[in-house]
Amino acid sequence: MTDGLISRIQRYSTRDGPGVRSTVFAVGCPLRCKWCANPELIEAGMKLIFHRQRCVKCGACAGVTGSRRAGVCFYDAYETVGVNITVMELAAKLLRDKAFYDQSGGGVTYSGGEPALQADFFLEVTKRLKAESVHVALDTSGHAPWDRLAALAEAVDLVLFDIKAVNSETHKLYTGADNRLILENAQRIADTGREMIVRLLLVPGVNDSGQEIDGRLAFVRGLKNVRRVDILKYHRLGAGKYAGLGLDYPMEGVPECPEGSARYAAEKAMDMGFEVSVGG
Amino acid sequence: MTELLRFKPINNDCDFNRIERLQARMNARIPTICPERAEIITASFARTEGEPIVIRRAKAFAAILDQMTVFIEPNALIAGNQASVNFAAPVFPEYSFQWVIDELDEFERRPGDYFIINNEVKDRLRKLEDYWTGKTHQDEVNRNLSPENALAVKQRVLHRGGISMSGHGHTIPNHEFVLEIGFGGMAGIARRNLQSDNLTREQRDFYEAAVIVMEGALRYCKRLGACAKNDAAVEKDPKRKAELLEMSVMFETFMESGARSLREAVESVYLVHLLMMIESNGHSFSFGRFDQYIHPYYRRDLQAGKITKEKALEVITHFFIMLNSLNKIRPWGHTQYSAGYPLYSNLTVGGQKPDGTDGTNDISFLCLEAMNLSKMPEPNLSVRFWERSPHELILDSARLIRKGFGMPSVFCDEVCVPAMMTLDIELETARDYSPSGCVEIAVPGKWGHRATGMTYINFGKVFELVLNNGADPATGIQLIRLNGREGREVNYKSYDELWEAWKTALRYYFDLAVDSDSVCDRSLKYHDADAFASSTIDCCLERGKTLHDGGAMYDYISQSNIGMSVVGDSLAAVKKLVFEDGILTMDGLKAELDRNFTGPEGARIRQLCRKAPKFGNDDDYSDSITADVYESYLELLPGRRNDRAGKGPIGCGYTMSTSNITSYVPNGFDVGATPDGRLAGKPLNEGASPCLAADREGPTAVINSVSKLPNKRMAGGQLLNMRFSPGALAGDENLEKFARFIETGRLKNIFHNQFNIIDSETLRKAKENPEEYPDLMVRVAGYCALFTTLMPEAQDAIIERTELGWE
Repeated sequence: MTDGLISRIQRYSTRDGPGVRSTVFAVGCPLRCKWCANPELIEAGMKLIFHRQRCVKCGACAGVTGSRRAGVCFYDAYETVGVNITVMELAAKLLRDKAFYDQSGGGVTYSGGEPALQADFFLEVTKRLKAESVHVALDTSGHAPWDRLAALAEAVDLVLFDIKAVNSETHKLYTGADNRLILENAQRIADTGREMIVRLLLVPGVNDSGQEIDGRLAFVRGLKNVRRVDILKYHRLGAGKYAGLGLDYPMEGVPECPEGSARYAAEKAMDMGFEVSVGG
Repeated sequence: MTELLRFKPINNDCDFNRIERLQARMNARIPTICPERAEIITASFARTEGEPIVIRRAKAFAAILDQMTVFIEPNALIAGNQASVNFAAPVFPEYSFQWVIDELDEFERRPGDYFIINNEVKDRLRKLEDYWTGKTHQDEVNRNLSPENALAVKQRVLHRGGISMSGHGHTIPNHEFVLEIGFGGMAGIARRNLQSDNLTREQRDFYEAAVIVMEGALRYCKRLGACAKNDAAVEKDPKRKAELLEMSVMFETFMESGARSLREAVESVYLVHLLMMIESNGHSFSFGRFDQYIHPYYRRDLQAGKITKEKALEVITHFFIMLNSLNKIRPWGHTQYSAGYPLYSNLTVGGQKPDGTDGTNDISFLCLEAMNLSKMPEPNLSVRFWERSPHELILDSARLIRKGFGMPSVFCDEVCVPAMMTLDIELETARDYSPSGCVEIAVPGKWGHRATGMTYINFGKVFELVLNNGADPATGIQLIRLNGREGREVNYKSYDELWEAWKTALRYYFDLAVDSDSVCDRSLKYHDADAFASSTIDCCLERGKTLHDGGAMYDYISQSNIGMSVVGDSLAAVKKLVFEDGILTMDGLKAELDRNFTGPEGARIRQLCRKAPKFGNDDDYSDSITADVYESYLELLPGRRNDRAGKGPIGCGYTMSTSNITSYVPNGFDVGATPDGRLAGKPLNEGASPCLAADREGPTAVINSVSKLPNKRMAGGQLLNMRFSPGALAGDENLEKFARFIETGRLKNIFHNQFNIIDSETLRKAKENPEEYPDLMVRVAGYCALFTTLMPEAQDAIIERTELGWE
């Protein structure tokens, strides 16, 4: 059976679906969103993050390269991201919080990265979770071949679907990919009758114009089974990770999302009859 | 105006502006020292030399009530003062006095918990010194302690808190009983019992004392009435004038028999509390199940149209605020263990009734609203919950917790009731439990002596001694030799050997602690012979005995243990690194502990130690070892008896408690570096909580780990403290999730839980000094994380968000 590559499990996660949840972050993503808050999850494979505030400049890592640096540092300045995990192991870990899921109407969410890139693995995990009656949600970028996405979307109870821009040029410029496949997949999942929550990220000057918001909401209105829309405000919490990975932050100078556009989007979505939440 | 949690007033019976004024006034309270009580008791004791102690204390109590200054706080609906001015601490020279004299010039200069005192007061107190020299409770304890016990204190393994120098406190009166018959009724019982044949001398003394204290209490009420009348005469505001006149009428006959209204019931509860705190200076005098015994009065008044819900809220809020007019002064050495002028007056709402139905009522919710309005440290509000508690009770609790002052703490019936039943207490009685003080539980009105906080045992220090063959590296004192030889050298060849040494050392110090408890208890039997408090507890009036002489129906004590998680994590690290993986040798590890992990090699070893399994991450390896540490103490308890065994109460045994307030910090000062990677002098763990920074898997993992401890056998109280950022509870959805998280504790064997909500100022400090805030949990875009593990940029963003009140 295939192993999975994940960064970690976030327990008591409250933003990735209903109730108290455990969110699994999958490593590897087909998109290259410039605002990505989890840059360590973009490329497949293990990575090393350098925490400069922990470094005491002892020199132990001088001349050491690659992931071996994590092994020679005694001050935890290097953090390895990515762990191979078996289906059994992951399912067992996730089931440890079952009582919390049951009491709160919560469950497990696959996020990332793009879980659909590891569809086989997550399908197996889902089987085990469903056998214990755990509610499972998939948080997807939608940018994956339909056959892989379809199987996973069908296996879970809820799909959290990100729509980043309705304008295909904007989408391409900021995520590296056209949005055609994403919009198609959204429609296909909706057509299967699976419950969906659509998540609309608002990045100032990128996709927070009235036209962009209206356009995305108009598209969402056409999807059956969307009960709720999450408005996600762009934040800079991921900026430090870029430095830790030795990367430049692509969104340097872009402010966090102002209240105004979030309120506009929220009101508009409410007018359409959606349940709405606003968060970061 | 403060936003209410959920209640929507429909009339103006609750004057919210006045509550704000009263609250603001109380917030600006100035701690001072009042010499009146000390002077009056000294004069009284000089007059009663040779009489039985219980009578002497009763006469002194009555004299204090007759002679002390009496006043009514402006605007307050609740009357009764503990000392000559608001928030002045009375002095109790009979328990210990030398420190008062020694610290007279220091009280004002304390960096925290200071007291303003002028020269006149100092002189008045100094004049009393001669009388008390050699006569106090503390003097007697010191005379009777074995030299070995004193050495264990010097080693910093044992710490005797208040029990060696103040009254025992920790009393939850049977308020239902007091409300029913009043002080007059209690005096009547004592008088009737005095007529019985075949009374022993002690019984006769007790009944006489009970009559004296109850009559004194009644005269005090009448003094309050006169005071109200005088105040009314000069009061200009017509509404307040009417209130004062009403109070003067009420106090004329107050408590001669039972309470006649909700207003009288609440006033009585306040006065009983106040009077106990004039009689004796213990702390943790508690209220028990306030909603249960107050509700009948509320319902009756409501049905008779004599009160509204709004008015009831006003009365309860005034009561809560007035509790903060009381004060206690402790020696500086003790203050560090319990900073913030704490009185630990626990007030409980919610939970099952003895018949197994749910007891939540209007008063339960009004108490949460009152705490939201009063926003002060007392009372220490606790909420009991169980399977059939209304979800709104937990939601309102969560709303209050969200306000960020750490209350209420929550207790779970499904764990606490079985814990009580381990003490030969029947189900119906156990269902009536209530916390007293912090997390220790008792059956209100039936419980003698303290559920916790006898002698403190520093588990971290015991473990350090185990690694050093019983010899203390800091003082050189060696009371036990684990390998039979003198000196620090010891070579454990297996985990089992180390574990056996731990058990041997723990048993040794436990025995010393039990001895210390008995010495203090025997002295308190004389020095804390309190007829007033005793009369409020079931069986004392029947048996003619004080609490300390075996008057109560039930009597259990517990010590307070500090540092079980540090010991568990240290054992886990040694087991894994030395005995299983063979990465370290015992000697190598000990050498690094001696060097406090300094230098690059120290850093390497410390990293290994820190990466070893830790309690709090839902990892069975370390969780089971920490559970073993609890078991190693629990197995010492059966068969241990306290000083009242055979004298009447049921039980008289020992139970276990982790309610160690802030003592985990100063106890850490005395413990060298430990194998879990903790540096020398750093805090131990708080209660049953994981070690600082050890829990990296989030709040559900902490709950899962704590669930593996023997919580259902911890009748002395199991303390868990968790921290969340305000964002984690913001909005209805997060609030609901948090409430469900609390409720899950019921299924997870969680005895007690309390929550700290952190503001941006704290976050900023945490960023500057991460070592000081290793366990600070914050919300990062939809989940919670340990703040200090975040990138500086993310920390900044979160500080910013917290300030803006986002999320």
